[in-house]
Amino acid sequence: MRIKVERSGGFTGIPISNEMDTRDLPSTLLSTAKKIIEEKKASSLSSKSAPKGAADHYSYKISIQDGAEQSVIECNQYNISDDLKSLIKYVEKNFDRTHRINRSK
Amino acid sequence: MDFKNRFDVINRESEFVNLGNPICLIIPEYVNKKIMEKGSKKQKEQAWKNLILTEQLRGRRSVTGLMSSMFSVSNKLDRTIFDAENTENLPGTLVRHEGEKAKGGKTVSEAYDYSGSTYNFYKDVFKRNSIDTRGMKLDSTVHYGEDYNNAFWNGTQMVYGDGDGEIFQRFTKSIDVIGHELTHGVTQYEAALEYDGQAGALNESFSDVFGSLVKQYALKQKADKADWLIGAGLFTNKIKGIALRSMKKPGSAYDDPTIGKDPQPGHMKNYVDTTSDNGGVHINSGIPNRAFYLAAIELGGYAWEKAGEIWYIALTERLRERSNFQTAANSTHEVAGTLYDKSSHEQNAVKKAWDQVGIKIKAVK
Repeated sequence: MRIKVERSGGFTGIPISNEMDTRDLPSTLLSTAKKIIEEKKASSLSSKSAPKGAADHYSYKISIQDGAEQSVIECNQYNISDDLKSLIKYVEKNFDRTHRINRSK
Repeated sequence: MDFKNRFDVINRESEFVNLGNPICLIIPEYVNKKIMEKGSKKQKEQAWKNLILTEQLRGRRSVTGLMSSMFSVSNKLDRTIFDAENTENLPGTLVRHEGEKAKGGKTVSEAYDYSGSTYNFYKDVFKRNSIDTRGMKLDSTVHYGEDYNNAFWNGTQMVYGDGDGEIFQRFTKSIDVIGHELTHGVTQYEAALEYDGQAGALNESFSDVFGSLVKQYALKQKADKADWLIGAGLFTNKIKGIALRSMKKPGSAYDDPTIGKDPQPGHMKNYVDTTSDNGGVHINSGIPNRAFYLAAIELGGYAWEKAGEIWYIALTERLRERSNFQTAANSTHEVAGTLYDKSSHEQNAVKKAWDQVGIKIKAVK
């Protein structure tokens, strides 16, 4: 399985995408990743809900690819659980593939 | 005309109020507010009546909010700087209060000094009493997170990362970044532009516009001498780029193998449809940013005096949560007509500026 963390937003507006193989995740983080797969349809997280007036925060899109199956969850820095935050941080530090997304036409 | 204090318009308009002239109905809301703050007792009463009437006509905002602003206690700059000590806990440990001498290092000093510059800009130029018009305290947290490449406004305070030292240096380094973040607070208390799509891109653009003006005001720079850059000096020397955004030439701020190319469009034909970044709020802001730059250059002189005032009144008195680029264009055009007369050089400059980014002004009621 592959896990990908795409971050967008922030004052800089410069997005980044990091990914790695889930077998390289520590077991606790792996269970967080599995939970994402299980709860993908029940997820109430959104990248858009933030405190009133807040700006320049990070938004995240986490995808897990298992063969043909893909699970996606979207959130931002205000509504992520501590578990998910640890998972994001781990992937951002220990990725085996990274790229910036150039969005200009 | 002497533009040292463009809000002298208040004195002129208040004569009408004294005469009890029915023309009072066309006095812009912001003028009424100013009279309530500065005018005589009689002027205040009349302005108050006008405000209630216009509020009722437009059916927005609670008048009680304005009422309490009349009894605002604080009219002093009140800054506090906290240190997150590389955690993500807010606000962190208190480092420096208003009036205390410099301590806590360079980053603390920058957050303190530049938030003061921003406060003074709004106070001197627009007679605005802090973020909320009621003397709100300005809280900032520095040294947030580890290798944190961001600065943000969380709805109540400013937060600055130190940068990772690879791509970015500390985010307090540029005065316009601090002006940008504090302006998100101003927008929150005024148009309250939704942080999504075009409204979100306008929210971002107003922060860039006034962030740049805070810098120009501090440097006493005229429009043609300003760099019109956002975040100049934030990149390390490993990155090929001069800043994060260019209002003058969106899309030209950086082009680097590590971080890619500045994606900002400067014209509607290159508008970017995307779901990331809340619908591209930091991308499409290039379009209204360039419109402001073009208007400011056409009007000449200090950009905060004419273009800045027009944009400020649009932000505080015309735009709403879901306003889009077209609404912003129409509103700034209308405000320019109110301040400088219809078909004046100023109004035409605003029309031409939006035209050049691909937005045709439509008449507003």
